[in-house]
Amino acid sequence: MGPDGAPGPSVPWQKVLWERQPFPDNYVDQRFLEELRRNEGIRQYRYWTVVKEAGFVGQQLSCVAIFISLWLYMEQGLLSPETLLWSSLVCALLGYGLYQSLSSQVESGCEPRTRLADLQSAAIFLSFTFGFSPVLKTLTESVSTDTVYAMSAIMLLAHLVSFPYTHPSPPGSLSLNAALFASVCLASRLPGALHTFAMLSCALMVFALWPCLLQRVRDIAPTHFTGVCLGVCVGGVGGLGLQSPGGAVLLALALGSVTLLCPLLLVRLQRHKDNIQGPWDEAEIHEDLDHGRGT
Amino acid sequence: MVLKIFFPQCCNRADSGLLVGRWISGHDSAVVLAVIHYPFIPGQVKQYIQQMQAQSGVELSVLGSWSLPKEGQEGMESFLRDLSTIFPQERWLQIKRQMGKTGFTCEILNRDQNDQHDDSDNKKKQEKKKEEEEGEEEEKVIFVHYEQRKVMLSQLHPIENGVPDPKTEPPSELRQVFQTVARSQPLFFLDRYDDGPLKSTHWQSEGREASIIMELLKQASVPLCLLISWLLSVWTWICNVRIFSLYPLRFLSSKLSTCVQLSYRTEHLRTLSSAKPATGHTEFMRKSNILVSFLIDVALGLLLISWLYRDDHIRMLANTLVPAADHVAKELEELLQWLMGAPAGLKMNRALDQVLGRFFLYHIHLWISYIHLMSPFIEGILWYGGLSACLGLTFALSLLSDMVALLTFHIYCFYVYGARLYCLKIYGLSSLWRLFRGKKWNVLRQRVDSCSYDLDQLFIGTLLFTILLFLLPTTALYYLVFTLLRLGVVLFQGILHLSVDFINSFPLFAMGLRICRSYRLGEGVKFRVLCEEPGTALHLLMEINPLKCSTVVQTYRTPTYSCYPKDSWAALIKKLFVGELIYPWRHKSTKTD
Repeated sequence: MGPDGAPGPSVPWQKVLWERQPFPDNYVDQRFLEELRRNEGIRQYRYWTVVKEAGFVGQQLSCVAIFISLWLYMEQGLLSPETLLWSSLVCALLGYGLYQSLSSQVESGCEPRTRLADLQSAAIFLSFTFGFSPVLKTLTESVSTDTVYAMSAIMLLAHLVSFPYTHPSPPGSLSLNAALFASVCLASRLPGALHTFAMLSCALMVFALWPCLLQRVRDIAPTHFTGVCLGVCVGGVGGLGLQSPGGAVLLALALGSVTLLCPLLLVRLQRHKDNIQGPWDEAEIHEDLDHGRGT
Repeated sequence: MVLKIFFPQCCNRADSGLLVGRWISGHDSAVVLAVIHYPFIPGQVKQYIQQMQAQSGVELSVLGSWSLPKEGQEGMESFLRDLSTIFPQERWLQIKRQMGKTGFTCEILNRDQNDQHDDSDNKKKQEKKKEEEEGEEEEKVIFVHYEQRKVMLSQLHPIENGVPDPKTEPPSELRQVFQTVARSQPLFFLDRYDDGPLKSTHWQSEGREASIIMELLKQASVPLCLLISWLLSVWTWICNVRIFSLYPLRFLSSKLSTCVQLSYRTEHLRTLSSAKPATGHTEFMRKSNILVSFLIDVALGLLLISWLYRDDHIRMLANTLVPAADHVAKELEELLQWLMGAPAGLKMNRALDQVLGRFFLYHIHLWISYIHLMSPFIEGILWYGGLSACLGLTFALSLLSDMVALLTFHIYCFYVYGARLYCLKIYGLSSLWRLFRGKKWNVLRQRVDSCSYDLDQLFIGTLLFTILLFLLPTTALYYLVFTLLRLGVVLFQGILHLSVDFINSFPLFAMGLRICRSYRLGEGVKFRVLCEEPGTALHLLMEINPLKCSTVVQTYRTPTYSCYPKDSWAALIKKLFVGELIYPWRHKSTKTD
């Protein structure tokens, strides 16, 4: 039964079922599937744009690598906690200054945080960490090393997987918590309480504060953003390479595949996309996102 | 239509006379209570029956006539038939028996119909033919023989007390029979051997029972009751003195099982010593149960005393008590030292371990010093405490339970500390776990919602979560150990309380009655065929089915402040898991009315 079938009666066929028609119920005429739409709303990716976006993912991977290499240095005694503390402080101040200068260029619609509030937060962090560092140091004393390494690895993986790559500021709960949990596990393996404190401050900077700065850079100066990502990746590979060349090679391979190979695959496979839409789809309710979000 | 006549066995051989009893309304049956012999004056009979009716409240009437002709007494039949005109009734029964034969014959005279329905052999076929022509039914008679004294004393279960509600169904036929016989006590005072205007035969004619002891006891109980109630009022007045209503004392006295048992016994004695006699079967049984339990309790207590104060047992007990407490403390110390090491290869956090272990060790040290301080007084305490057993074995057991509670107070303290710490940890962990995932508990909607936290909240929350998580095994182990100890103590106390409760509530009197005089507690009746000959009426013997022992216990259990488990097993396990404090036994108060 179709347009090639025997010529039907002279009454035109109507696409309704409530009227008795001389056609059978499953009859279709030549206007069949004319409302079919293929690949509607498909985006054409351009390779280098995708590479730039994927750079962010690679950057985060390198961040984790940098953190791990710092920890390795501390554990082997190559890096003293005081050095790390002072350098973290300096970096934090520099980053804060950069953040403020960048935000002064943009009219921020939301409530700006006063300097006092920032100072208060910083004081809370530091005092809390310093106060709890003896407790944190002895936390995993009786747990075997393998268990600690396994837990940290799983938690860092969870951090990478659940990281909010689109809007990293404010940082998502699960990713930040997982990263902090891993850093506490690792930091408790270090020889002294000051080491623990230094490690935790470093972790806070790397996992909590750095993404905020990066997002601000990305919003305001996209060209510089790419440069920063590249710099971080190189730093990660280099830092790891000094400790274990094998690790560096692995990291380089991972970075390469994430930033170069996967976009290629995405662009290539885009061609094979075959979506069909039509009036038979479920109705979608489009909410206006700006009105729906609470303050 | 079948007419049932309940005939007392004691009247089987009574001389001829009038049948006195009651027609059961609503059913086709009659209960014969006594036989009034010749000679009698009809006016006196009627007066007597009215007097009895007023005294007993039973609708007595003359049912008919009974003839057991002896030698030389012929021609009574016509005389007996004429009696029906003197006592006008709806129906008049004429029951005849021949000496040497087992069966009775019964004729029923209906006043309005003036027909004769006869069951005897000769006229039966004629009657049947006549009735078949007329289409009426023949009236059959069944004689149900019952032992009057047993039915009088028996009580049918389940007991229906009070005024019967007119809306509900009237009591069943059997119940009405039993009630009739039980309430007709005034009828049974006069006997054929008494000198009075009327001579009647009922169960008393078989020989009166001599119960002089019971009479004496009844006479002596009145001043005794007065004395006891006076003593109780003095005691209650002392207890209600204002100083005892202060909060700490009242709280203590509600927790100590000795005080509870004391108040409970006071209640009982008050019930016993009330001046008016028991109304109704239930109250009588309850009073007797209480009395018998109390006496047995005191007897057992005196037995215990006689064992305890002989051969210096008290000194032996006191000498073993302090070393026993020392031994318990030493065991606890060793347990804590083991926990402070690496118990069972578990990974404990050393610092926390040391802190908790030292804290508990200090407690034990305090406790041991306290016990040593008390040791000179132990013997005296035991001596005076043992005297309390003369009030009953239950007191001794309650005292023992209280002493165990006091001696293991440190275990209770440890349990509370461990449980509170663990509970805090569990709540903290669950809340921080929600923070870890970025969610929060919505108290208004009682559900988990997503929430965006600030940076510092996240940071501190994660740190605390890590700390609590790694310290969990240590706290959990301490909690587990002390909970097990506490449960052991609770179990032992529970056994003591259960035995006290058993002594308090077991209905000994009812059980004794069920075993010795089983007809007094009846569940129903069973019928045995005595004589079934065609032509005569059916004779059945009604025997009382005694109540089952389990039903006896269930019905007559004295309500006590029994302790029973408050939570089901699932709820208990859940509480243990979460760390809530458990009080597994709950005391039910006696004031239920």
